Amino acid sequence: MLMLKLAFRNILRNKRRTILTMLSMFGGYVLLTLSISVQNGSYVQVIDFFTRDSTGHAQISEVGYQDKPTLYKSVPETTDFYQQLMQVDGVQRATPRIVSSALAYGETKSFPVQVIGVDVEKEARMSFLEEKVKTGQYLEVGPDSDGYYSALIGAAVARQLSLEMGDELILISQGADGSMANDLYRVVGVVGSTEGAEARNVYLPLAAAQSFFVMPEQAHYWAVLTSDYERSDQLSQRLNSWLDGDSELEAVTWKVVSKEFYETMKADVEGGYVAYYIIIFLVCIGVLNTVLMSVLERTGEFGVLKAIGTSPGRVFTLIVTETLMLAVLSCLAGLIVAMPINYYLAAVGFVLPEPMEVSGVIMSHMKGLWDVKTFMEPALIVIGSAALISLFPARRAAKIVPVDAMRSL
Amino acid sequence: MKPVIETRELCRFYGAGDTLVKALDDVNIRIDPGEFTAIVGPSGSGKSTLLQQIGGLDIPNHGKVLLKDKPISEMSGKELSDFRRDHIGFIFQAYNLIPVLSAAENCEYIMLLQGIPAAERRERVLSMLAQVGLEGREDRLPGQLSGGQQQRVAVARAMVSQPDIILADEPTANLDSQTGMELLDMMHDLNRNEGMTFVFSTHDPKIMERASRLIYVEDGKVIREETRNG
Ligand SMILES: Nc1ncnc2c1ncn2[C@@H]1O[C@H](COP(=O)(O)OP(=O)(O)O)[C@@H](O)[C@H]1O
Ligand SMILES: [Mg+2]
Repeated sequence: MLMLKLAFRNILRNKRRTILTMLSMFGGYVLLTLSISVQNGSYVQVIDFFTRDSTGHAQISEVGYQDKPTLYKSVPETTDFYQQLMQVDGVQRATPRIVSSALAYGETKSFPVQVIGVDVEKEARMSFLEEKVKTGQYLEVGPDSDGYYSALIGAAVARQLSLEMGDELILISQGADGSMANDLYRVVGVVGSTEGAEARNVYLPLAAAQSFFVMPEQAHYWAVLTSDYERSDQLSQRLNSWLDGDSELEAVTWKVVSKEFYETMKADVEGGYVAYYIIIFLVCIGVLNTVLMSVLERTGEFGVLKAIGTSPGRVFTLIVTETLMLAVLSCLAGLIVAMPINYYLAAVGFVLPEPMEVSGVIMSHMKGLWDVKTFMEPALIVIGSAALISLFPARRAAKIVPVDAMRSL
Repeated sequence: MKPVIETRELCRFYGAGDTLVKALDDVNIRIDPGEFTAIVGPSGSGKSTLLQQIGGLDIPNHGKVLLKDKPISEMSGKELSDFRRDHIGFIFQAYNLIPVLSAAENCEYIMLLQGIPAAERRERVLSMLAQVGLEGREDRLPGQLSGGQQQRVAVARAMVSQPDIILADEPTANLDSQTGMELLDMMHDLNRNEGMTFVFSTHDPKIMERASRLIYVEDGKVIREETRNG
């Protein structure tokens, strides 16, 4: 108690210096908190959007499909399977998809495309496909009066093949039975932009894709959503234990499904650390300077303390404690300021002056993140680096030789 | 009677070659329990160096210091700092006290180092501060006390740790002669009433008068010793 009192009173000794040191740690904390909040907030947004729109939080597919997707590795697409799947703990939504490539023909030209067969209703509830229809309309479940199934085409497909609403689209590919597949579809809408991830896609109702590729009651995978992408690992574990009886099928998370996306996100996050290091470095310099000054000024005093029997370890602890106290107080002050700002960032956010592309997802509106980690992490960083920085002056104080120190008085 | 302190062939040199200073040169002294001894000599004669050696603040070049037959000159680091804490009381010329701690807390500090429980610390501090005439001023910071009062706190701090000996290096040098005499009288009272052994240095003839024994040093050598009755 007396030692804490001593440390606390020591930091109040030179008020001007204390305030300056605290300002640098305070500023560092607030800056770190807000930048981590916005950065992580945008990653959460991007990952959330990407997983909902494209991969799902987890996927069920035939073993080996994720490594090497082929037409021939499939999963059941039956009402029974769907109902059982929805019973699994944590599963909120699920939709089947068929994915394969084909050659598309317009009137005169051909263009290689990715065909995606989707369950029209389930897909609308799960991804943003319906929202991404720029012109025209969303898919119909069944064929129209002329017997044509509807097709949504990516913007690049539309441009390359000069297709417009109502035009016929011819697809040629191979069926799962090895037969030649070709069929006619009616273009009902265009999705996304020519730069978007879906530019070269053609979306068909599942029934159309199943008959085109000769995959009755089958799909390539089920994309499954739980409440939050952070729960993806848990979700895939539960799915796997449900699938236990079926050694042909497996569940994997979005991190496995889209390794590339996952790796870019990780790299981007690490790239963001550079800014943090700069902030931390500046804080450290400020702290080092003031702690060293305060030790040098008190050389004589430490000499007397050591002369009367204070151990080097105690002197060392005293300096570290003083610095820790300053750091904790600064972070508390920082917390008071950062909380309302971050609340605003998380609740309202801000519109970017220019939309930004993050791993294929276009962002125009950024939001902060309101959680314990966002506030704790910077505090631990500031307090930790202050403590680390204080070790050097503390060692110096601990090593003071009483006789020398007192001679300098 | 067993001596509290004994030095044997104690030597402390500074520098080397042409600039060699023999701050202590073959010093052999002995301090018995209950003595009130003054080390006297002109400035630069080696008084502070001798007290530093006796107090285990510095290591000799040659010879040894024995405290109750234990050679302190062979200790180092934590052992030595614990030894000082438990066996030696120090009073310096100035800057004795921790400026941010009150008179009572300054005294408590050393007992905290000794691991004495809080309740006992408080009790001992209050009675000791009363004994040095600082009753009612326990909670003042050093800056709120006069120079004489600050030195009294330093004496109280040295006393509360219950050392074998209290070493005071020119404790009155920064005080006016009246205050200095009062401080010395108070120390003398503690010496007589509590039996505490004191060794202090001075070059003030009036202060020397109070000592029961005088050790004269000059150029690092003990030139004369004198015992008085009084
Ligand atoms: N750390 C040191 N380095 C060099 N010389 C010193 C040191 N300490 C003391 N001296 C020298 O030793 C001699 C004795 O000094 P000191 O013990 O301080 O004398 P006093 O206390 O009697 O004035 C002086 O000549 C002084 O200059
Ligand atoms: Mg001296």
